[in-house]
Amino acid sequence: MRKENLSKKNIEIPWVEKYRPKSINEMALPTARLSGQKVKLNEELINFIKNFFLERKRVNQENSIIRNFNRTVIEKEQKKEIKISTDKAAVLLEGQPGIGKTSIVYALANDFNMEVIETNASDTRTRDKLEKKLKETTKSRGIMDFVTKTKEKLILIDEIDGIYGVKDRGAVPTVIDLIQNTQFPIIMCSNNYKSNLQTLYKKIKRFEVHPLPKREILKIAKKILKNEKITNLDDEALDLIIDKNNGDLRGVINDLQGICQGVIEGDVKELILKLRRDSTEEIFTLVKDLFYVSSLREARTLTDKSDVDYNFLYKWINENLLTFIKSNRDLVDAFDNLSLADEILGRIRTNQYWSLLPYFFDLFAGGVVLSRKDTPLSKGFKRIVFPRYSSGGFFSLTNTEKEFAEKIQKTYEISQVDFIQDFLPFLKILSSTSRKQLKNISDWLDLDAKEKKLLK
Amino acid sequence: MTQEIPIWRIKYYPKNLDQVCGRSFVKETLKHIISQKNFPHLLFIGSKGIGKTTIAKLFSKSFLGKDYGANFKLVYANVPLSEEERKQAKRESYVSKSKIGSIAGKTITTPAFIQAKVKPFIQLKVLGDTPFKILVVKNFESLGGNQQGFRRLMEIYGSNCRMILITTKISSIIDPIISRCQLILISQVKFEDFKELIMDIAEKESLEISDSVIDFLFKVSEGKISKALDILQLSSISGKKIELDKLYEDTQKFQNTQLKSLLLISLKGNFPKAREIARKIISSYKYNAQEVFLLLLDEVNKLPLSRFTRSTLINLIADSDFRAVGGRDNDIQISALLSKICRFSEYL
Repeated sequence: MRKENLSKKNIEIPWVEKYRPKSINEMALPTARLSGQKVKLNEELINFIKNFFLERKRVNQENSIIRNFNRTVIEKEQKKEIKISTDKAAVLLEGQPGIGKTSIVYALANDFNMEVIETNASDTRTRDKLEKKLKETTKSRGIMDFVTKTKEKLILIDEIDGIYGVKDRGAVPTVIDLIQNTQFPIIMCSNNYKSNLQTLYKKIKRFEVHPLPKREILKIAKKILKNEKITNLDDEALDLIIDKNNGDLRGVINDLQGICQGVIEGDVKELILKLRRDSTEEIFTLVKDLFYVSSLREARTLTDKSDVDYNFLYKWINENLLTFIKSNRDLVDAFDNLSLADEILGRIRTNQYWSLLPYFFDLFAGGVVLSRKDTPLSKGFKRIVFPRYSSGGFFSLTNTEKEFAEKIQKTYEISQVDFIQDFLPFLKILSSTSRKQLKNISDWLDLDAKEKKLLK
Repeated sequence: MTQEIPIWRIKYYPKNLDQVCGRSFVKETLKHIISQKNFPHLLFIGSKGIGKTTIAKLFSKSFLGKDYGANFKLVYANVPLSEEERKQAKRESYVSKSKIGSIAGKTITTPAFIQAKVKPFIQLKVLGDTPFKILVVKNFESLGGNQQGFRRLMEIYGSNCRMILITTKISSIIDPIISRCQLILISQVKFEDFKELIMDIAEKESLEISDSVIDFLFKVSEGKISKALDILQLSSISGKKIELDKLYEDTQKFQNTQLKSLLLISLKGNFPKAREIARKIISSYKYNAQEVFLLLLDEVNKLPLSRFTRSTLINLIADSDFRAVGGRDNDIQISALLSKICRFSEYL
């Protein structure tokens, strides 16, 4: 029975893949803006690809002339080879997740009969790897290219905002370098504007892609439902799903699949609410949902599915643990798992042991929420709170404390650590004895109201 | 400043080497060095709060004379760098991958520390007509494995800048550093010297003070003059005559009762309350997880507990501390320990 179920599930491909548009002309195109001007994305992109190949042809021809010329003259008089200008070599699509940026690229490639070489934030973490993967494909064209006509290639750099960071130092120059020397058109996707990427923005066309209007999403959703022969979802529920996803078409399709394959009976509305992906409330729902799961696998699915940064997520879990887990026996297990997860993350960060990451996920999500054993969750409203207590491990004073310390340091050499742990407590005791003392101290140090408050 | 300084420990802070209480042997040695106008790198060793930094500072002051301001710098190895300094250092140096085990190692990457605080000072030429500059590094042991970075610095820039390293734990200083320094042991103040100082201050503040009070003060302050003065000042507020009882009462105020109550509440099994107290302690004292664990360990040893409880608690604390070395979030690590103690309390 169980085996049957599993094998059946494996055959089913995600609907997102199943209904991915094959051609750019048949897909519902999101509206796009290029430096404030509304443009038609499909025309722009088709022109971009066509122009790129024309430009490449021209540049290559000119270069071969230059090369021939260079062979005949001495080194000093040699001309430099020309390159394809960067704004003709690459474009950037920018927009919120799930509105079809990647789909556009694949549909486009399909129309032009090109092969897509994709790289995204998950697999290229360092400059070296990025170079290795992309440079080979962009610079060389393969030995066989001269003999047989192979497919042209389209390079897709997905989640470009994700590849930049401390760990990926040098990734942006690499990408720019890549654009300057490419033999294939490059399309980049990113979720939001990053100031780090400004040097890149200057060199290329940046399209702002906006979410699809609701009626378009509704049209697509209805088409899918019709195709899948699903009838138990009424219009109201469909509306709810679309609203919840806030323009995220991928989210809508995923939700539809989740609902239609998960249950036939039951309260559809409740299920929709559970599946909601609303970005502003996502973390609240996610944390709440996590504590209701009953198996490690469910917890895993939840954390995998979400876009929430795990660096924050485990702090949220730490903050809200007490709401859901009450007994000391369960708490011990929960915190044991959580602190181990924390240690693992620390070791990953200091030593780059990225292979430990799966344990981290399982421990902080599954390990924690499954620590609640026999005690059932009490009914009633559970408030999810923001992790107000953040402790990054760095010693840092508040601004008021810092100013206070500086005032003292003018006359008395004391480190910030000693000030806060040793000297300030004494000042507190001293000033609590009488008003006169408080006045003396604050007059002498010329304290303002905020700093006086520290003494209380 | 026209107004009198209201804090005694600042008011009676020594102005020169002669005013430093006791330690005549050390003072003599340092005075000899001053007359020689030359010294090797120095390493000051002594327990916490007894005046190592004060001596180092006053020594540098009289050694450098009028050029003191430009040629002297005091850096704290245990105070983490500010955000800007860290960014600055990061830009200039690569991130260290050394595996650091000490408390401070978690918060400081020493290449950054050296880049931001030490190098800019020691690379500059000497100003004025002193032979070299003086750099004082406090809490040197908290640099942990990154003391290695100082080895070459001490050699390359040694002629330009002499260092005075200050530490409480000689055992955590690496051998190559020790071999490059002249060791100077700074002992606690002797009772006679302490008594003389207190009597002197009592006279200036027109206090009435008995021998037994001084005796008690000496014991309580553990040789830390600043602490003794704090207590004395507090007691003096209520009257010019210092009573032993009053003094004892005031001493109690100095003890950090919050940690004790933290331990007691977790031993009662009340986790939410314990966590709240722990957070309060951390936000006001800025301890990191490991400092809290060490303080808790102190409390465990002070409280009257059965042998079994005590050993179990020590075991739990050690276990948590071990994990916190690699961890990143103080709150989670402390909560983990508290939850363990709460659970343990159910068996008692």
